[in-house]
Amino acid sequence: MASSSIGKKQVVAITGLFLILFLIFHLSGNFLIYKGPDAFNAYAEFLENLGAIKWMARLGLIALFLIHIVFTAMVVIDNRKARPQSYEVVKSVIKRSWATRLMPYTGSVILLYLIFHLLDYTLADHSGHNSIVNGQAMELYGLVYNSFQNPIRVAFYVIGMTAVGFHLTHAIQSVMQTFGFYHVRYTPIIKRVSLVLGIAIAVGFASIPFYMMFMQSSCVTGG
Amino acid sequence: MTKTISLTLKVWRQKSGNASGKFVTYQVPTVDVNASFLEMLDVLNEQLLLKGEDPIAFDHDCREGICGMCGAVVNGQPHGPQRKTTMCQLHMRQFQDGDTITIEPYRARALPVLRDLVVDRSAFDRVVQSGGYVSVKTGQAPDANAILIPKQDADLAMDAAQCIGCAACVAACPNASAMLFVSAKVSHFALLPQGQPERQNRVLEMLATMDRERFGNCSNEYQCGAACPKGISVSNIARMNRDYLSSKMRLS
Repeated sequence: MASSSIGKKQVVAITGLFLILFLIFHLSGNFLIYKGPDAFNAYAEFLENLGAIKWMARLGLIALFLIHIVFTAMVVIDNRKARPQSYEVVKSVIKRSWATRLMPYTGSVILLYLIFHLLDYTLADHSGHNSIVNGQAMELYGLVYNSFQNPIRVAFYVIGMTAVGFHLTHAIQSVMQTFGFYHVRYTPIIKRVSLVLGIAIAVGFASIPFYMMFMQSSCVTGG
Repeated sequence: MTKTISLTLKVWRQKSGNASGKFVTYQVPTVDVNASFLEMLDVLNEQLLLKGEDPIAFDHDCREGICGMCGAVVNGQPHGPQRKTTMCQLHMRQFQDGDTITIEPYRARALPVLRDLVVDRSAFDRVVQSGGYVSVKTGQAPDANAILIPKQDADLAMDAAQCIGCAACVAACPNASAMLFVSAKVSHFALLPQGQPERQNRVLEMLATMDRERFGNCSNEYQCGAACPKGISVSNIARMNRDYLSSKMRLS
């Protein structure tokens, strides 16, 4: 499987598909932030206390990311070498989609984003002084709230989510082609679904930093 | 009198595969708009010969758009600006008086330049040799229509069989991938009953050869299908992806 060109792409596609499912799962959890600190913190605590399941999920995700990245890197590096001399006149036959062209770059941005994101929340102390809002310990909710009072971090998260949006608009429809689904009627629909879903996931995630940035601290503590 | 236009050509000149090449500019003052692109190059070559210079080497054969021999990158596009048209069927009326036309060979690791605009496409031959056929037991000629083939399958197989192996798909692909070519050759048999016995091995063998020849990988940009002078659909690539997966599943 891993030795052939199509096999590598199908490995990238299947791991990517699982990562998209993870993102949807992650986003639905994040939306609890709109229900308020109690719901969000309870959910975070529930995940924290899953024990062995939590670690299996984490290892699984790390494996998915690593496989996705390593196989993509192999394909991309090979593609770069496949045309040693470039054309004098560069004029594509049909318009090239930016989402498609930027896939390796948006992917790299997402990886960079992910490292900071893990340091920010997953590996951070959920009950430290950064989680205190107006003198009240607000756990993970407070940590998220405080971190998004910094506009630079908000900007960084929005850039990360823009990369996710671009990545997914190409990814979802590309997975279908790579696994061999092509239909005159349904493929154009899938492309549109891919575009809408990609943007929706990115906007969904990016809405949270803005929500947190513009919310008054008194609303957090209910005072 | 037929209309003529004046052109400036920037042509890639390279003596051999090992030599380094460069663009050379030629003025062609009177180009008949009814001439084909290759005829225009013929006229230029005659002028070069009269001056004692080497003519520009380019591939050509039937000059009626069906053999797949011709092809170069004209102003950044394989076979030039007109869709579903081979370079020999591209006519000079597609250009304007005073235009500068850049002509360069296909660029791909798997298709090395032999001379000027001529590239070595024998990688395609090796892909076909590794599985692009059906084995037949000779004997009495079978009845022409003895095997039923659904009309839609026959049509799709014919569409795939239209591939002339010109390699414009490789030239147009941002990754110099040969997926459209290989998928056309795979689909053309995969859709027909005669292609079924060897279907799984065919796709695996042809893909193995494709990889060995060091073409790039598909990134679903679909430049290939748009550049194809025969309008081969990228749905063939999906079919090949599907066949690859099912063959792998069944054989392992």
